[in-house]
Amino acid sequence: MDAFLTSRIISDILAGLTNGVIYGLVALSLVLVWRSTRILNFAQGAMPMFAAYVGMVVFAHELGYWPLVGISILAGFTVGGVTERVLVRHLYGKPEINPIVVMVGFLIVLEGVAAAIWSTTPRGIPNPFSPIDWQLGGKPVSLSPFSVYEIVTGLVVMTLIAVLFRFTKLGLQLRASALAPEVSRLLGVRVGRMLTLGWILSTGVGTICTVLVASNFFTGLTPQVMDGIFAFGFIAAAVGGLDSPVGAIVAGVSIGIILQFVGDYVNSNAIILTALIILIVSLMVRPNGLFTKSSARRV
Amino acid sequence: MIAVEELSVSYGAVQALRGVSFRAETGMITAVLGANGAGKTTLLRTISGLKEPVKGTITLDEHSLVRERPENIARLGVGHVPEGRGVISEFTVEENLRLGAMMAKVNLSDGLNEQYERFPVLGERRKQHAAKLSGGERQMLAMARALIAQPTVLLLDEPSLGLAPLVTAQLMHAIRDLCASKSLTVILVEQNATTALRISDYAVILYLGRVVANDAAANIVADEDLREHYLGKVE
Amino acid sequence: MQWILARRRVAVTAGLVVVAVVVTALTASSVRDGVALGVALAVAITGVATLTIAGLREAHPVLARAALTVVVLDASLFATYFFSSITNFNLAIGAAMSIVLLGLSFLTGASGQISLGNSAFMGVGALAVAIWANHHASTPIVVTLLIAVVSGALVGLLLGLPATRLRGPYLAGMTLAFAVAFTAIVNSFSSWTGGDAGLQLPTAVTPPNWLSSLFNAQTSLLTVNTMWLADITIVVTGVAFFFMANLFASRTGRAMRLIRDNDVAAELVGVSLPRTRVIAFMVSSAYAALGGALWTLINNSVSPPTYSLALSITILSLVVIGGIGTIPGALIGGLIYAYSTNVISWFTAHTGINPQGNLASQLPGIIFGGLLILTMLFAPMGIVGAVRRLWAKRRVRSAT
Ligand SMILES: Nc1ncnc2c1ncn2[C@@H]1O[C@H](COP(=O)(O)OP(=O)(O)OP(=O)(O)O)[C@@H](O)[C@H]1O
Ligand SMILES: [Mg+2]
Repeated sequence: MDAFLTSRIISDILAGLTNGVIYGLVALSLVLVWRSTRILNFAQGAMPMFAAYVGMVVFAHELGYWPLVGISILAGFTVGGVTERVLVRHLYGKPEINPIVVMVGFLIVLEGVAAAIWSTTPRGIPNPFSPIDWQLGGKPVSLSPFSVYEIVTGLVVMTLIAVLFRFTKLGLQLRASALAPEVSRLLGVRVGRMLTLGWILSTGVGTICTVLVASNFFTGLTPQVMDGIFAFGFIAAAVGGLDSPVGAIVAGVSIGIILQFVGDYVNSNAIILTALIILIVSLMVRPNGLFTKSSARRV
Repeated sequence: MIAVEELSVSYGAVQALRGVSFRAETGMITAVLGANGAGKTTLLRTISGLKEPVKGTITLDEHSLVRERPENIARLGVGHVPEGRGVISEFTVEENLRLGAMMAKVNLSDGLNEQYERFPVLGERRKQHAAKLSGGERQMLAMARALIAQPTVLLLDEPSLGLAPLVTAQLMHAIRDLCASKSLTVILVEQNATTALRISDYAVILYLGRVVANDAAANIVADEDLREHYLGKVE
Repeated sequence: MQWILARRRVAVTAGLVVVAVVVTALTASSVRDGVALGVALAVAITGVATLTIAGLREAHPVLARAALTVVVLDASLFATYFFSSITNFNLAIGAAMSIVLLGLSFLTGASGQISLGNSAFMGVGALAVAIWANHHASTPIVVTLLIAVVSGALVGLLLGLPATRLRGPYLAGMTLAFAVAFTAIVNSFSSWTGGDAGLQLPTAVTPPNWLSSLFNAQTSLLTVNTMWLADITIVVTGVAFFFMANLFASRTGRAMRLIRDNDVAAELVGVSLPRTRVIAFMVSSAYAALGGALWTLINNSVSPPTYSLALSITILSLVVIGGIGTIPGALIGGLIYAYSTNVISWFTAHTGINPQGNLASQLPGIIFGGLLILTMLFAPMGIVGAVRRLWAKRRVRSAT
C-alpha cells in the first residue's frame, strides 16, 4: 500500500489534482462572468491579484492569516462589483471585441499599478500549512498539508457555488438573468444587480484561488502571478464549455492531472504546449466545449 | 386602471406610436387590435418599461410608469406575457413558475398549487424542461407564471398565436374568468380580432401607430366600415 | 482630346524633372547630395503628376495606390538621408511595427476577429530569419524575409484552423494561450532556437559598396548602416502597405467585411466562412512574422523573451489607438511605438517621477492600457476615426 501511494503515477495524480483544482477555480470564475454577461474577462486573473495585494500586503503586518484571507475576499468582491458598475456597464450590447479589448487594457493597467505600488518582488504569505510533503516509509507522497488545504478549499468553494445556483432563490434569479434578461425584468428580477452580483461572485472565487496560489510557499504573490494560471484556466473553461460550470471544474482538474504527467514524463516546456494542443483539438472537435449541449449555442 | 396619454414612441427614424391615448379600466378587458406593424407590441413594451417613450404619459392608478424600470413596474403589479411567450426553455416548468413567484406576497407552495389546479397539465410536467412543452402548454406556462405573481394588470401579447381554434377559445374563456374573478385590468393584444372582440369590453384599433377607433367592443363589432378597413373580415 | 491632355502632362512632367535635376546639380554642395536630391525630386514629381491625373483613382485604383506608395517611400527614404542614426533606428523599429499593426488591424477591422498572439507570430518570423541565416548565410535579404513570411503564414494556418469555427472571445483566448506558450515552445527546441538567450545573425546586414562609397570618409559606419537598415525596412513597409491596401479593396476584403457585419448573410451570398476567416488570420500572422523578421535584421539578433504577451497587448493598444481597420491608423501606431519610449522618459523627467523607481518602469503599461480602455470607450475608431469625424463635421458646417 505504501509503495502504491508513493508510486510515480499516484504522485502525479495527487500533484496534478492540486494544480487542477486551481485551474478549475479560475475556469469557474470565467464561466460565472461569461454566463451572466457574455464577456470573456481577460482581467480575471489581474482583478483578484489586485484584491489579494490589498488584503495580504496592505494589512499584512497587523493580522494573522485568516483575517487576511477574509479581507482579501472582501476586497475581491469590491473590485468585482466596482469594475462591473464603472467599466463593464458601458460594454453591454457593444460589438464583441470591445469588451475583450477593454478588459485586456484593464489587465495591464492593474498589473502595472500593482507593480508600481508593491514592486515585482514576490511576497511570501506566511500561513499555517506546511508545504512539505508527507512521508510514507521514507518516501514522499506528493501531498502536503498545504496541498490538502488547497484541494479542500477548492472543493468547498465549488460546492457552495453549485448550491447557490441550484437551490436558492438568488441562484434562480442569477440563472434567469443570464439566460433571458428581458423576461426576467418583466418578472421583477433586478437584472442589473444580478449582473453585478455575477461579477462579484466571480471575482470572489478568483480571489480565493489567487490567495491559494499566493500562499504557496514556492510561488508568493507577484503582479503577474495569475498570467500563466489564467491561460490554463481559460483552456479549461473553453474545453469544458464557457457555459458549463461543471465542465469548467471537470476540465480544470483533468487538465491539471494530464499536464502533471506531461511535465513528469516529458519535460516542463512541453506542459503549455500540450495544453495548447488540447485546446486546439477540443475546439476543433467541439467548438462549444465538451460539456455544453451541442444544440445550445453557435460559437 | 391604466391611462395612456399622447404616447409617442420611435425606433430611430421609425415612429412606431404617434400620440396614442386610451384607458384600460379595472376589471375590464381592453382589446388592442391592428395589422402587423401597427405598434401593438411596442405599446405593451412601453407600458411595462422595456421601451422608453419619446413623449406622453402612462399612469397606473396614481403611479406614473414613464421612465420607470421594468422590474419596478412588474413589482407594481403589472404582469406582461410577451410576444412569443418568453418561457425560459432551459428551466423546468416549476423553475419558471418559481421565478414568476419571486415577488409574490403569497406562500410559494400555495401559489404553485393554485396554478397547477388551474392548468393541470403543468402540474403533471412540473419537473420537465420547458423546451419539451407544446406551443399551447407553453402559453399556459407563460400565463401561469404571470398570474402566480398576483398581478393587478395583465398585458397579453397575442396569446392565441399558433394555437388551434379550440385551444384559443378555451384560453379566451380562461382570460374572461380571471378578469372577472380577480378584477384584473387586462390589455389583450390580438391579431385574431373576432375572438378577441367576443370576450372584450372595450377595443382600441391601432393603424400605423395611431388610434383610429376606441370604443366599447360591441360598437366596434357593429361598425362595418371600421371592420372592413382595419380588421379585415369579422363575422 | 484625352490623348492630347496626356501628352501635354507627360511633356510638362518631363520638363519639370529636367529643370529640377539641373537646378539641384548646379546648387548642391557635393555630387552625393546632388544625386540624392535630384533622384528624389524626379521620382516625387513623376509620382505626383501621375497621382493628379483626373479620375485615376476610379479608373486604375491599383496604379493610384502604387503612385501614392512611391511618393511616400521617396519622401521617407530621402528623409533618412538626413536623420541621425538614432532617429533612423527608431524609424526602422517603428516601420517594422507598423507592418505588424497593419496585419492585426486588417484581421480585426475586416473580419471582426481578434488575436492576442501577434507577438508570438512576430517571434516566429524573427527566429525564422535568424535560424535560416545561421545555416545559409549568403541568402539574399528578400528571400530570407519571404521565408519568414511563409513560416508566419504556416503557423497561422495551424492555429487558424480551429479559428474557422470560433468567434471573438474563444479566438482571443486561444491566441493568448499561444502568446503565453511561446517562450516554452522556443525552449523546447533550444538546439535550434537558442532558447531564452536567442540567436545572433552570423553577419550583420550592411549596405552594398556603391552606396557606402557615396558617403564621405568621415561619415561613420554606424550612420551608413542604420540608414541602410531604415531604408530596407521602409521599402518593405511600403510594399506591405501597398499589398494590403489592394487586399482591403479586393473581393476577399469585401467578403471579410461582410462576415464581420453579418456572417449569416455572408454565407447566404456564397462567401465561404471558414476559408475567409483562415485567410484573414494567415495574412495577419504573416504580417506579424515579417515585422519580427525585420526586427531581427535591425537588431542583428533575436531575443525570444521580447515576444511576450505584453508585446501582444502593446500591439493591440497601438492598433486601437491608431484606428482599427484603417491604413493610416497602422502608420500612426508605428510612429507612436517608435517614439513612445522617448515620450515616456520625457514625461517622467518633467513630472519628477523617479526614473529608476517602480512607477517609471510600469508607466508604459499603465499608459498604454489606460489609453486602450479610454479609446475603446470614447473613440472606438481611434485617432483616425476621430479625425475623420471632425473632418466630416467641419465639411458639413462649411457647406451650410
Ligand atoms: N426593435 C425595433 N427596431 C426598429 N423598429 C422596430 C423595432 N420593433 C418594432 N419596430 C417597428 O415598429 C413598428 C411597430 O412594431 P410592433 O412590433 O409594435 O408591431 P405589432 O403591431 O406588434 O405587429 P405584429 O402584429 O406583427 O406583432 C413596426 O413598423 C416595426 O417595424
Ligand atoms: Mg407584435
